[in-house]
Amino acid sequence: MDQTARTTTASAAAPQMSGEIRLVNLTKTFGPTQAVKSINLVIPHGSYCCMIGPSGCGKTTILRMIAGHETPTSGEIYIGGQPVVGLTPVRRGTALMFQSYALFPHLSVRDNVAFNLKMRGVSKEERYQRVDEMLAVVHMNAFADRMPAQLSGGQQQRVALARALITKPRVLLLDEPLSALDEFLRLRMRGELKRLQTQLGITFIHVTHTQPEAIALADTVVVMNQGSIEQAASPHAVYALPRSAYVARFMSGQNVIKGKVRASDGETALIEGPEGARVRVPLNGKAAPIGSDIAVSVRRDAIALRRGAGNGELGENEVRGSVQTVEYQGIYHKVTLAPVGGEEFIVIEPEDAFFAHPVNFGDAVVASWRTEQVHLLEPDATEGPAQPYAEDRAA
Amino acid sequence: MAERSYGKRPWTFYVLATLFTAFVIFLYAPMAVIYILSFQGPTGGLVFPIRGFSLTWFEALFGQARTGDVGGAFSRSLPLAFIVLVLTVLISVTAGFAFRRRFHGSGFVFYTAIASLIVPGLVLSIGILRTFVTLDLPVRWYTSGLGAHLTWTLPFGLLIMFAILGRLSPSYEEAAYDLGASKWQALRYVVIPIVFPGMIAVALFGFTLSYDEFPRSWLTVGSKNTLPLEIWTMTTNVTSPALYALGTVTTIISFIAIAIALGSIAYIQRRRAQRIGKRS
Repeated sequence: MDQTARTTTASAAAPQMSGEIRLVNLTKTFGPTQAVKSINLVIPHGSYCCMIGPSGCGKTTILRMIAGHETPTSGEIYIGGQPVVGLTPVRRGTALMFQSYALFPHLSVRDNVAFNLKMRGVSKEERYQRVDEMLAVVHMNAFADRMPAQLSGGQQQRVALARALITKPRVLLLDEPLSALDEFLRLRMRGELKRLQTQLGITFIHVTHTQPEAIALADTVVVMNQGSIEQAASPHAVYALPRSAYVARFMSGQNVIKGKVRASDGETALIEGPEGARVRVPLNGKAAPIGSDIAVSVRRDAIALRRGAGNGELGENEVRGSVQTVEYQGIYHKVTLAPVGGEEFIVIEPEDAFFAHPVNFGDAVVASWRTEQVHLLEPDATEGPAQPYAEDRAA
Repeated sequence: MAERSYGKRPWTFYVLATLFTAFVIFLYAPMAVIYILSFQGPTGGLVFPIRGFSLTWFEALFGQARTGDVGGAFSRSLPLAFIVLVLTVLISVTAGFAFRRRFHGSGFVFYTAIASLIVPGLVLSIGILRTFVTLDLPVRWYTSGLGAHLTWTLPFGLLIMFAILGRLSPSYEEAAYDLGASKWQALRYVVIPIVFPGMIAVALFGFTLSYDEFPRSWLTVGSKNTLPLEIWTMTTNVTSPALYALGTVTTIISFIAIAIALGSIAYIQRRRAQRIGKRS
């Protein structure tokens, strides 16, 4: 799947303490199942990388292999240019923050954070001094004498963060760090993680299954499906220019429309979609042979809704639908239409546009958009489930 | 028409409460009778009414030969129970760790260990005796007797360790390795402190199961009796409250063992609490 991953070979001469991570043909099998399928990926030093995908897509396995808690079946992992498979976590210069935090229940906050220093034989005086400094970074000084069980989820997370950072890692690995927090804390800790990463300048690899989290934090978003990388790119590219229908659906910023190419003028192609819908897509240099099956995506926030069934023929870039749900989200309304050709069809309408002509359940509408908002998709890298997280994905 | 009520108890509550009370009486009344009767005066007998109050029968227990070799029985049963305790903790804990990572044939080893819970103790006792006699090995409380007791305590210890280690998330060890601990350091500073209360439970089981074991001791301890065998012998030929006094003494020893176990857990927790308060 080389075309899906960003493979760079120009990073051979990485500096000694670099936190650049290079995965080469990394594969992991558990019995008959291939959890990770020959992955190639480069994560530049000092960048924030989010790995995202549904449960069981292999993202946590990759993280654990980088951390040294799982041995790859084949392939190599380079950190700062040095092959690390077989090395202990400390010699890799990685630190892992566990999803459950894994704070030692029998040790106080101070002794939890001091654990690494104690293992290295640092004197008690120096140990506690450095712990206090580190606790200050995560604003937990006041809680140094508490036991983990006496802390809230957010506080436990800060302690876990301090405990990982005191090892002075060049790579911090975070396994779904925010999933155990409530929404308010999640947003606050999200900001703090980004601030810390910028401050420390080390590489963060953050595994998540929450799309807004990934695009808010990452320099590089790696979208995974069934052990393969579907797309590894900037948050903007992943969200606005998804490579495949899978990515478009998963990032849930776009509606996917499938159809057959009916005409092409070199610049654009005309696609016949479900229920006679005709969609024009800019080709941007890509090929779309007439008669071939193709998928395109349309940004959900670039679709206009016209009330009423419309009379007669639909124009280009229009579909007819009936409203299934309307959700108020504060700054916009999320209007879900009856599936178009088996695909979920969602329109994000700004408040003023919605309130000018409100729609309700069952209303007939016509959705329309401009050709520039249509994006040509490549085939999926893996034949996975058509709708990852179909039931519970966020808007 | 049922009337609306604010938390009125249903009739089943009273039925079950009566049943439970009867059970508690059945459980504790006989013991209480023995303890009370053991403190009788010199003219006391095996049944009510109580005749006077004294510690005569406790003195008789260790003083006179006619009540049997109670002191000797204690001097065998207590060391035996203690050796069993140490071995049970050592073997169960290490075996528990071994079983955490599935090794080849682990299922077979597990069922072999558990099988000795199902085999009747007396049958096992005969088997062990025969084996020792056939191999011409000495049959003593500290040889064949010790082995027989371990067949009883080890499966229990192992099952307790399974329950404890099953709840121990592997991420604690991984976190320790991640923070630079060697395998030994992870065990010493993380795993053992977390599972320590469970190890005390294993020790307690090892001690009490051995201390009052009868069927597995019967043929395997050799010519000198352990305490349960001595009590059994006494019931057939001693007809004084000294028998009850012995019951009281053995119960007190069991309580001491339990108190030591619970006390050490409480002590560890208090020491941890103090360590927290030390720097503030």
